This record gives sequence, structure tokens and C-alpha cells, in this order.
Amino acid sequence: MRFVFTKLGLLLLTLWAAVTLNFLLPRLMPGSPADAALAKLAQNGPVSPATRAAVEAQLGVPTGSMFDQYLQYLGNVATFDFGVSYTFFPQPVAGLVAAALPWTLVLVGLVTIIAFIFGTLLGVLAAWKRGTWLDTLPTVGGTFASAFPYFWTALLLLFFLGYVAGWFPTSGAYGRGTTPEFSVEFLLDAIYHAILPATTILITSLGGWILGMRSTMINTLGDDYVTFAEANGLRPRTVAIRYAARNAILPNLTSFGLALGGVVGGSLLVERVFAYPGVGYLLYTAVTNQDFPLMQALFLIITISVLLANFIVDILYGILDPRTRR
Amino acid sequence: MSATETQAATLLSVQNLSVVYEPTGGEPVHAVSGATFDLGRGDFVGLVGESGSGKSTLGFALTGLSKPPARIGGGSILFNGVDIAGMSHEDLRVQRQGGFAMVLQSGMNALNPVRSIRNHFFDIFAAHGHVGRGDREARAIELVGKVELPAGVLDRFSGELSGGMRQRVSIALALSLEPQLMIFDEPTTALDVLVQHAVMNTIRELQKSEGFTAVLISHDLGMVLEVTERVMVMHNGLIVEDRPAADVLVSPQHPYTRMLLSHYGDPRAEIVEVPGLAARGAKRAPAVSHLKTDFVPVSDEARARAAGTEGVQRREGRAAREAIVVSGVSKVYPPPRRGEKPVRAVNDVSFTLEPGASMALVGASGSGKSTIAKMITGVEHPTSGTITFGDLQVDRIKRRSLKRLHTEVQMVFQDPYSALNPLHTVEYTLTRPIVNFGGLRGRDARRRMLELLETVGLTPVEQFAARLPHQLSGGQRQRVVIARALASDPQVIIADEPVSMLDVSLRAGVLALLDSLRETWGVSMLYITHDLLSARLVTDQIMVLNQGAVVEEGATASVLQNPRDEYTIRLLDAIPHPTVGH
Repeated sequence: MRFVFTKLGLLLLTLWAAVTLNFLLPRLMPGSPADAALAKLAQNGPVSPATRAAVEAQLGVPTGSMFDQYLQYLGNVATFDFGVSYTFFPQPVAGLVAAALPWTLVLVGLVTIIAFIFGTLLGVLAAWKRGTWLDTLPTVGGTFASAFPYFWTALLLLFFLGYVAGWFPTSGAYGRGTTPEFSVEFLLDAIYHAILPATTILITSLGGWILGMRSTMINTLGDDYVTFAEANGLRPRTVAIRYAARNAILPNLTSFGLALGGVVGGSLLVERVFAYPGVGYLLYTAVTNQDFPLMQALFLIITISVLLANFIVDILYGILDPRTRR
Repeated sequence: MSATETQAATLLSVQNLSVVYEPTGGEPVHAVSGATFDLGRGDFVGLVGESGSGKSTLGFALTGLSKPPARIGGGSILFNGVDIAGMSHEDLRVQRQGGFAMVLQSGMNALNPVRSIRNHFFDIFAAHGHVGRGDREARAIELVGKVELPAGVLDRFSGELSGGMRQRVSIALALSLEPQLMIFDEPTTALDVLVQHAVMNTIRELQKSEGFTAVLISHDLGMVLEVTERVMVMHNGLIVEDRPAADVLVSPQHPYTRMLLSHYGDPRAEIVEVPGLAARGAKRAPAVSHLKTDFVPVSDEARARAAGTEGVQRREGRAAREAIVVSGVSKVYPPPRRGEKPVRAVNDVSFTLEPGASMALVGASGSGKSTIAKMITGVEHPTSGTITFGDLQVDRIKRRSLKRLHTEVQMVFQDPYSALNPLHTVEYTLTRPIVNFGGLRGRDARRRMLELLETVGLTPVEQFAARLPHQLSGGQRQRVVIARALASDPQVIIADEPVSMLDVSLRAGVLALLDSLRETWGVSMLYITHDLLSARLVTDQIMVLNQGAVVEEGATASVLQNPRDEYTIRLLDAIPHPTVGH
């Protein structure tokens, strides 16, 4: 239990550091959002002091000392008040993020977890049946599929299954006529829209998990405790799962943590290609429109998701490996 | 084999067994060929050989554990009259309960690090169903009790146990199969001397009380002769000797057995010598061996060098002239975990290594001997006390002076397999220190490199210079390591267990080389070991360390002949010795 508290303390500490950096970094940059806006206006002619005051008032130029601003910022973060988006004026940033986050978490997050579980199982099987078709097929297939660039696989699927065959929709998370609600029809529609992006992620990430698990598993199969377990006449399945695979999965948890942490930030490409209304798409919009409040909120969300994923993996390690519990 | 044995008394009958290694893309190699022998019920048999002799391969074949690339090439293994050589995997698996069990060489890693000891037992009970669900806990406690461990060990994980405890757990696990045949493959090799002794005693007692047939596979003929009734000696895949232990000791038949035996000696004896290494202080006669050993050409070569007939001379004016003075040195490490006491690795140790002297630093693992070596080489700084070498204040040495220290004080490491970078040739490995410390370049550096190879007896030198570590044997690698230590023309060599990883027949050669360096080059040597016999052979002075403190010191011969400290006596008693018998 002490192990969990230590890790939790560490999580809170890094979280505080991340929030503080997120506060400091924009303030260390020269200029201000108001300057940027005024510079744009200045291209059309001179800007009067009144205009400047108006822009500054609209954007909310900070007042008070740096420390006061910091306290205020902490308060705002705690209450999820990230200000108002420039692009989607006057919608609050928190609302935009809250609307986008579930789509990314469910699509990319779920598929990442599925790919990890499925790939690990295939890797175990490949190592255990080394040299048979159960080894060759997933290994060669996985290498082949993950060698394609991500967006290229996406475009192939879009073109053939979406455009040519017309079996799947080519963009969006749900049909044009529907609105998000908790009904069977809407859920089915959402799943129908998620199939192509999900397949893309699965195809490109599965191979890595298969190969990673296969090679660590082959290593543990040569370990003495596996030989000893066989010498003691344990059932082959027990040896494969509880002795070899159980140890082989440990190093792969680290890469799983990285993959999980990259879900929110790394969804940009897939969501852009499929015009999927998730965090990645939102980030793309924010960056192209220089929407500072939105960007800042998204960066914070991405940081937090990486920290949380690492925390989850740390706890998983604690459960799976008694050596880390001390 | 013997005529008095009746058919029913024979448990295992091996006929013309051969095991082939078939590496992919390589020539098949016969690791074991034509093995034929019987084991009677309740026998305790030793299987002895050096690395690569095929003894472990045979052990794995006997327990049905041969895995690709190894394959049983022919012959039969009749266990209770049933041939297990061609049995399917599942049939073999079922046979193991009440059949045959194996305790592995590196018992340290034989336990699943993420599974509790209790679950190890329960897995075996579940796989064979020979212990009812309700009785499993009681049976597991009983089994760990048999290997003298408390019941609490069941809740632990292997990482929380010491090496000796882990090996005991492995033995208890193997016992839980209620086997008729137990094969112990180097069961105590990785353990500390005293622990080794204790575990071996447990095995002997268990064999008597449980009555299983036992095969003890070991490289250590001394231990096998002490423990077993019958000895089989393997050499190049062949069983070259198979006779009662007492006969092997008195009248070994095969030259290989004679060679192995000749390398044993009692460090307590009046005169101690092995082939290639004369008794210390005695006049070096060309033929010192009391047993003819035409089997080890390497020791002849070493003997010749020890007499100073070949090898390059040291560059002028470089003989050891400064002493290492260690006074009142202690090293305290911070506690490994919070709430525990700090670790006092070395406690108030003082000694002087005179120029040209050779001193042994003896003790079990954890006695602080390696920590002392680290402090003398400036890798670690002492918590208190001083170490001086000439005008160098080693205990407070700075990065700038380190290079000077390392020019004069060099290490020879324990494991020649990991002390050399596998990607670099011998030439590269030796040239680096020549360039860094000696300041030689180009042709001069190369000439010096070849000289060094000649000094350590790796001839023809041009050929050895071009080799990579994996193309060398263990003994040759250790010679390269020694040559590397000599490259800077040091005054002092610190040899940390330089022969413990080598086969018996190679040890004498390496020891003779180290000894001759002292004679012909005038290097002082600090020889760190747990092996009292080798300490007796190559050193004049000895210090016995126990838990960081010096418990006994003096002239090597007199300390070992008349040990006063209880710890020294225990160390001496723990040495397996063939003449002691059983």
C-alpha cells in the first residue's frame, strides 16, 4: 500500500511541476497574444490606442504580480476554467475539450489497449510455437503491416473501403442527421464510423506488440526457471503462461505506458485523416488558428494524460512484479 | 554394471546413449557418445568433467530435458525397465512425479521471480495431482522443513532469499515430486564456500533419509570423491572412468582422471604443489610434479616461463619500489533500505603490501575483500583511514591523479568472459592501455602489444593478436586480461579471483603466470580469493577477512597450517578434499 502512496505522491508532484511550467512558458515568450492580434490588424492600417485597449480588454490582459497571476491560474486550472477560445468565440475552452476528449479516449485509447492485449497474446503464441505457422504468420504479417506509414494505411482504407466500395463512411464520428445521445441507434452509428480509424490504428500498432512480446518471451523461455518448471513436470500451458509469459510481459509494460500516454497527443494524424472530432483534430484547429487558450489547455491535457498513463503502468508493475513493491 | 547387482535393484540402465548438438547451419557435434552404465537403487554416483565434457548434456538427457539444438542421437535410457529416450513430451511429463527430478546448475535463477515460493509448490501439486487440495499447505511446509528452511519462506519471492536458501528451495521443489532418481547439476557451484558446504551436507542427509538414487554432476572432483560412492569421469563426451570412489582416489586408471586429481592439494600440508606450480620457497626444479601430467601441455609451458627462460624483460628501472600502505581503513555504505542499519563493509583494516611481495586476501563473499580492492584502485573512497601508494594519497585521490595511480596499480578481473569487449580484437584491447598509459604510438605500440602477448604465453603472437574474444578459451582470455593489466607496466597487480571461473586444468597455468610475473618483473601482487589452496600456492603472506575485519594474518604457510581463528578453521574445513573420504 505504501508503494501506491509513494507513486501517488510522485504523480501529484510532477503534475504540479507540469502545471507550473504550463503557466511559465507562455510568459517567458516575448510579446503577447494581444500583440499578435494587433500585428495582424496593423497590416490593414495604423491601429489606434483605443483599438489596442479594446483588444486587450477582450483577451483579458493579466493584472497583478506574477505570483498573484500564478495563484489565479492554479485556481482556474482547479475549476477547469481555461478561458474562452478565439476560434470558437465565445465558447469556453473547457467545454470544447470536454466534448472532444471522450471521442479520442474511446477510439484511440480503447484500440491501443486492444492492440496491446491482442498483440501480446499473438506474441506469446508465436514464441511458444516457434518455427511453426503460428509463429511465421503473425511475425511476418505484423512486420509487413506495421512497415506502412500510418497515414498511408489510412488513405488506402479510406479509398478502397470508404470511397470505392462505399461500405464505410469517410469522415466524422457519427452521421450528419444524428445528434449525440444515449440510444442504441446512435451507438451503432458511432461504432460504424469508428471502424475504419480503429482498423488503421490496429493494423499499424499490432505488429510492434507481436514482435516485442515474441522476442522477450523467447528470452524467458531460455531462462532457468522455465527449464526447472519443465523438469518438475508442470503442464505446458502453466509453463507458457505463468512462468514464461508472465515474466516476458514486464519489459513490454514500459512501452505500453508510452503508447497509452501518447494516445491523446498522438491522435492528431488519425483524427485529421478521418475528420474525427477528437482532441487531435481540436489541436490541429487550435494550432492553425493560433488559438492560444485552446492550445494551452490541450497541452495541459496531453501532459496530464502522459502522467496518468505512467502512473497506471507503475501500479501495474507493482501488481505484476514483486521486486518493484519494496 | 557390477555382477552382484540383480535386475530389480537396477533403477536406471543407459545403453550406448549418444547426444548430438545440431546447431542451425553448423556441423553436428557429438556431445555425448556411447554412454553405457547402470544405476542401482539408492546409489549416490558422481559425474565429473571439465566444461564442455558433456556431463550436463548427459544429465539433461537422463531427465528427458534435451532441447534443440541438442537431440538424443541413439541408444536407450531404461528407467525401471521402460525406455524414456523416445517418449513423447506428455508421457515424460507424467513420469516425472515419482520418477526423476533435476536440480539445476544455476539454482539461483531456477525460481520464477514473480511467483511466491508457495505457488511454486502448488503448481507442482496441481500438475500431478499427487497431493490433495487440503494437504498442500502442510506438505509444502514439510518439504521446506526437510531442507532446513522455516515455513515462512513460502510467503517469499525468490528475490528476497539468499543464494543458499534459493538452492534449498529448488531441492525441496524437486523432492516434492517424490522422485526415485535425483540429478544434481553443479548444485553448489554458484554458492559461497561455507554455504556450499552446508547445502552439500543437506543433500547427503536427504539422500540417506529419503533413499532416492542420486547423480551429482560437478567439475569438482574433490567434492565428488568426498560425497559419492562411485565416480564417473567424462572427457570429450566419453565416460573414461567409472569406478568406486575409493578406487579412483587410490589408483586412477585414465590419464585424464590422474591429471584432475593431481591438481588437488591440501593447503594445510607441509609442502603443497600442483603440476606447474612448485611449492613456495622450494627450489624450482624443472620437474616438480609428483604425478606425471603429460595431459596439460600448458603447465609445462608455464613452468618454463616461471623459470624465466622466455618472455620479455621489464623495461629498465620499473621494478616495484613503492609499497601500498593501508591503515585503519573502514568503508560504510548507506543502508540498502530505509530504516535499516548502514552496512559496514570494511572495518578498520591495516596492512602493507611491500614492493615485490605477494599477499592473499581471503574470505567468503561479503567479507569485504573486493571493497578493499576497489578502494586501493581509487574506485571507492574509504569512509575513514588512509591508503597511500608512494606519494599518492589514494584515499582522497582526484580524477587527475587517478591516471597516475592506474599506471602503477592494475586489476585482473574474475570473469574473463565479461572482462573483454566481444567486439574488439585482442590487438585493440591491448593497444588501448599501451597508448593511454605508455604514450607509445604506431609501430612501437604494436611491438609492445606483441611483447605482452609473448609474456603471457599466447604464441604465435601474430595469430592471437588478430583474434576476437569468442575465438579464445577461458584460460586464453584470462591471459589477455593479464596482458592488459601489464600494458601500463604497473608496480602492483590486484588479482580478484583470477582463476575461479576457469577449469581446474587451466588454473595452474594462469597461477604460474601470475607468480612468474612477480619473479621476473618484480610486480607486487594482491591476490583476492576464497580458495585457500591457490592462496597457498602463489602467496607468501595472507590476511583472512570476516565481515569486513581482519581475523588472522601472517605467513601463508604457517597461518594455514596452524590456523588460530575459528573462521579460518571453518574455511579450511569447508574445502572438499579427496583424501578425507567419507
